[in-house]
Amino acid sequence: MVEPFAPGILSKEALDARLDALLKEYEIVAPVNRRGQAHFSKIIEISEIEWGYSSSVIPPSKVIYQAEQLLMRFVNQDGSYLVVEQHPPSRQRILLGVHPCDIHGILVLERTLVGRWQDSWYAGERKRSLIIGLNCQNPGPDCFCSSFGTGPFYAPWMGQGPPEGCDLFMTELMSGYLIETFTEAGRRLLEGSELTKPTDSDLVEKDERHKKTLDQFTKHLNTDGLDALLNRHLEHPVWERVGEDRCLSCTNCTMVCPTCYCYDIVDRAQLDLKTILRWRRWDSCQDQHFAEVHFGNFRPSRKARLRQFVCHKLSYWMEQYGCYGCVGCGRCIHWCPTGIDLTEIAAEIRREEIRL
Amino acid sequence: MNWILPREAVVVAVKTETPDTKTLTLRLRNSHERLDFKPGQFNMVGLPGIGEAPITFSSPSGNETFQHTVRAVGRVTRALTALKGSDVLHVRGPFGSGWPEDEAVGKNLLIVAGGMGMVPLRPFLLHVFENRIKFGRIVVLYGARTPDDMLFRDEVTVWAEQADTKVLLTVDEVPVGSTWTGPTGVVTELFDHPGVLLDDALALTCGPELMMRFVVRGLLLRQFPASRIYLSLERRMRCGVAQCGHCQIGPKYVCQDGPVFCYTDLRGWPDTLL
Repeated sequence: MVEPFAPGILSKEALDARLDALLKEYEIVAPVNRRGQAHFSKIIEISEIEWGYSSSVIPPSKVIYQAEQLLMRFVNQDGSYLVVEQHPPSRQRILLGVHPCDIHGILVLERTLVGRWQDSWYAGERKRSLIIGLNCQNPGPDCFCSSFGTGPFYAPWMGQGPPEGCDLFMTELMSGYLIETFTEAGRRLLEGSELTKPTDSDLVEKDERHKKTLDQFTKHLNTDGLDALLNRHLEHPVWERVGEDRCLSCTNCTMVCPTCYCYDIVDRAQLDLKTILRWRRWDSCQDQHFAEVHFGNFRPSRKARLRQFVCHKLSYWMEQYGCYGCVGCGRCIHWCPTGIDLTEIAAEIRREEIRL
Repeated sequence: MNWILPREAVVVAVKTETPDTKTLTLRLRNSHERLDFKPGQFNMVGLPGIGEAPITFSSPSGNETFQHTVRAVGRVTRALTALKGSDVLHVRGPFGSGWPEDEAVGKNLLIVAGGMGMVPLRPFLLHVFENRIKFGRIVVLYGARTPDDMLFRDEVTVWAEQADTKVLLTVDEVPVGSTWTGPTGVVTELFDHPGVLLDDALALTCGPELMMRFVVRGLLLRQFPASRIYLSLERRMRCGVAQCGHCQIGPKYVCQDGPVFCYTDLRGWPDTLL
C-alpha cells in the first residue's frame, strides 16, 4: 500500500482490471489501431488499446477542441431571432494514454483558447476530460520532442507541465506500470487498486528507459534563439523555394497540429428557414482565402502561407504566449504529402547565418 | 456574458452617405444595456444566417445610440446596407484598441484619411472638437476616389471652419459634370501644402492599406518620427478576441493589439502592404 499521491506500481493485470471497472462508469478515449494508424477513439473494451503506439493521426488536444462545434441556435420568433446557447456536455470522460508531447500540446493550445477570453466550449470539454498520461517509449522517425524538452518523458517545459496537464501519469516498466498521481480526481480513479511501492530498481529502470528512448530520436531541431533567428530571416529564399515548389496548400499540417487553433464561424439555415445554426469549425492559415478581405488577399502566395505556419509555431508564438507553438510531435512532417519539414527549414536558415 | 453571444440592436435611422455606403444609427434592444467604447474600436456586426463582419464605430461613445457606417462590398455588408428603420441586427463588442487619445492631448494632430478610412477617424475627431482646448492645431487631409465618395461632407465643412483647423480635400478623379473645384491627386500630395506638417504632431491615418503605405513613407521621408504615426488596419476576423487566428500580422492580433497600431509595432512584419 502506498500513500495517496506517492508513485506506485500497478501490475498489468491490476491495471486492466481497474480500467475495466472505469469503463463501466466513464467514456474512455484511448489510442486504438484503425487501418494501421493510431487514433484516439472511444473504446468498448480494454483490449482495443494500442499501448505501444508512436503517434496518433489527430492529437488528443483536438479530441477536446473539436473540428466542428455548434455554438448557438437562432430561432425565429415573430420576425426576430431568439439566441439559444449550446452548452457543452458535462459527463466526465477519460483521455487515456496521452504522450507528454501531446499533454504539452493541450497546455499550449489552452494559452489561446482559455486565456483572457475564454472559449466556453473548449473549457467545458477540457473540464470534463480526465487525462491519464503515458510516457512515450516508441518515438517515430518524424518525432523531435526531445529537442524541445516536451518529451519523450513528462517534465516541466516553458512554464507548464505537471501537475496541471494531467491527473494520472504512467510509465511502462517490466514489473507493470509506475503510476504518478497529480490530482485528487486522479487519485479517485485509482480507488480500490492495490498499488505497491516502487523499488529502487523500478526507478533505475525508468531512468534507463528514458535514456534508451532519447537515443532513438533521429530528428533534431536546434531551438536556441530560434524565434529571433526566424525573425531575422523572414525574406530568406527557403520560403519561396519550399512554398512555391512543394507546398500544395492541402492544410494537412494545420489539421494534425496539436496547437493549431484557428477557426471559422459559419451559419447554416435549417430547411424550414426558422432555425439557423451557428457553427465554429477549424480553419487553416494554409487555405488560400484565409487572409482575404474584400479588396484583396494578404497572403496570396503559398510562400507567404508556409512562412506564416512555420514562423507562427517557431517564433511569433513566443511573443504572443511566452512559449513555442510547437511541441515537436512531428505530425505536420509526417502528414505532409510532399515531405515539407519545418526542422529542415529552420536548419537551413541557421546554416546560412553560421556561414555568414 | 459569453463574448460570442451577440446582442440585438435596433436600426433607429439609416442615412445614405454615398451610393454604396450607409450610416446605421443603432440602439441596443435591451434598453438596460449600454455600449461604451473608445474611438477606433469595433463591433462584430451581423445577421443570423448571413454572418458577421468587423465594423468600427463611426460615432462617439456616451449616447443612447451608436453608429456604424458600412460600404456594401460583400455578403454581410450588402445585407447590412439593405436594412431599414426598426429592423434588428446583431452586435458583439466593443473589441480592440482605440486611437491614442491620451497621447494626443496637447499635441498637434495630422489626420490622413482615404475613402472609408474616415469612418474610424470620425469619432476621434468629434471627440477632439468637443474637447478642443486640450489639443493643438488640427490638420485633416481627406482623399476619396470621386467627390461623391467623400463621407460626412457636411461635417467636414463644419470642421474646416473651426479655430486652428485646416482641412484639405482631394479626389483621384473628377467625373464629367461634377462641380468639384478642389485639387485632384492622391492624398499624400497634400503633405507639401504650407502648414500641413507641424512639429510636435501625432499622425493618425486610416484608408486602403496601399494608401497608408505611401502616407507612412511620405511622412518618414519628411522626418516625421515613426513612433508618432498611428494606423487603423483592416483584416479578416471571425471572433474579435484573438482566437480565430485570421487577423494575425506576425505576432500581432489586429483584433486585440489593434486595429489601431503605432507604426513601430508593425514595422518589419510580413504580409502587409505597409
